[in-house]
Amino acid sequence: MTLAQHALRSAVYELADALDANELYQQKGWTDGLPIVPPTEERVRDCLDAAGLTPADVIGVETVRQRSITAEKVAINAVMAGCLPTYMPVVVATLRAMCDEDFNFHGSTASTGGSAQFIVVNGPVRTAIDLNATHGVFGPGHRANATIGRAVRLVLINILGCVPGQLDRSTLGHGGKFTFCIAEDEEDSPWTPLAQERSVSPGASGVTVMACEAPRQVMNEWTHDPEEICETFAAEIRHNMLTYSIWPGNYALVIPKQLRELLVAAGWQKKDIREYIYRSARVFRREWATVGKKNVVARSGGPDQEFTALRSPEDLLVVAAGGPAGGFAAIIPPWLGPRSHAVTRTIAGS
Amino acid sequence: MTIRVLDPTFGEEIATTDRVAGLTSLAGRTVGLLDNSKINVQQLLDHVEEILRGQHGVKAVVRLKKPDASRPAPAAVVAEMKGCDAVISAVGD
Repeated sequence: MTLAQHALRSAVYELADALDANELYQQKGWTDGLPIVPPTEERVRDCLDAAGLTPADVIGVETVRQRSITAEKVAINAVMAGCLPTYMPVVVATLRAMCDEDFNFHGSTASTGGSAQFIVVNGPVRTAIDLNATHGVFGPGHRANATIGRAVRLVLINILGCVPGQLDRSTLGHGGKFTFCIAEDEEDSPWTPLAQERSVSPGASGVTVMACEAPRQVMNEWTHDPEEICETFAAEIRHNMLTYSIWPGNYALVIPKQLRELLVAAGWQKKDIREYIYRSARVFRREWATVGKKNVVARSGGPDQEFTALRSPEDLLVVAAGGPAGGFAAIIPPWLGPRSHAVTRTIAGS
Repeated sequence: MTIRVLDPTFGEEIATTDRVAGLTSLAGRTVGLLDNSKINVQQLLDHVEEILRGQHGVKAVVRLKKPDASRPAPAAVVAEMKGCDAVISAVGD
């Protein structure tokens, strides 16, 4: 039996045209608010075929809500998001990663903390699907970046019930909840790609997903010293620890070409950056008093209790990405420290 | 010419679990009260227990706590709660 012969089980709606389909899906609350591409059977089957999946294949199970995420529903939501069939293996690998117990799917997607999924793609699939790693890497303009993250969001809304005010209890949320997917700029970086650092075989494609808060942009164009550059990163992390959450966990650090070149010229690898940040990104509980949180300074270990941003240097996800000009980097904080871990998975068939 | 489009939501056609019927009465029942470690939950559940016992004839109350609000309850807690007729988890802020 070929893949195309497996029956689809989803309910079918017959409508006049694509505009009517969009209106129906908007009215039913099946979107993120933006228009959708109508998920016709033909387009859904193209997505399933591209990933080598049958409709009933289970991509993963969200254990708290006891919901299976089937390939058919993922494909429908991927089509709605605007994905090409070739993006489907990336969407599927991302969801598989999120179903890992370490990711804490339910907690991170329901929390008032309002996290998004930061998705970093490595390996040959990046160039095959034209996933942006350079100019305006967090912004608009690239279909793969825009729609892979959006597909994951639509899966959360439509399959897991992560509707704002229902099972998505975000107080604020952030723009990354529409989409937050980038490639690493492997062609323009001598550093080991993130996925390979996290056990994906060289030459294979991999995806890393992290429950994150909004990116915090920093700038230092006034030094060539690698320690001074990294101190700017560490300062922003310390600020996040004080004003947002003090708990240690995975932080992502996205470094653009202009700053990478200075670090590389000084002989620094990702490992050196991680070790510097591990040493420097620390605060004492008493420092909470400087940001309006004096009422909790005495709790737990007291004023002299020291907190590290990272449990170990490996907690820092260093990613080479961004346009060629500008000393702008980004710190992407974790949703809630160790309550959710970044997870990396190999992307099948790429 | 029309188009045929597919429902993107988790539907009954692929449901993996069955729903149990709701209780018609709490009288004589055992109710679990799960403290999720958020602030002031203990006081809230003390009050709920008082109402359940005093106004609804609940026979027994099982009070358990999970270590933090952001992660699922440990398997041992879930296993113990399985002996209850109903469970209230609190608090969702």
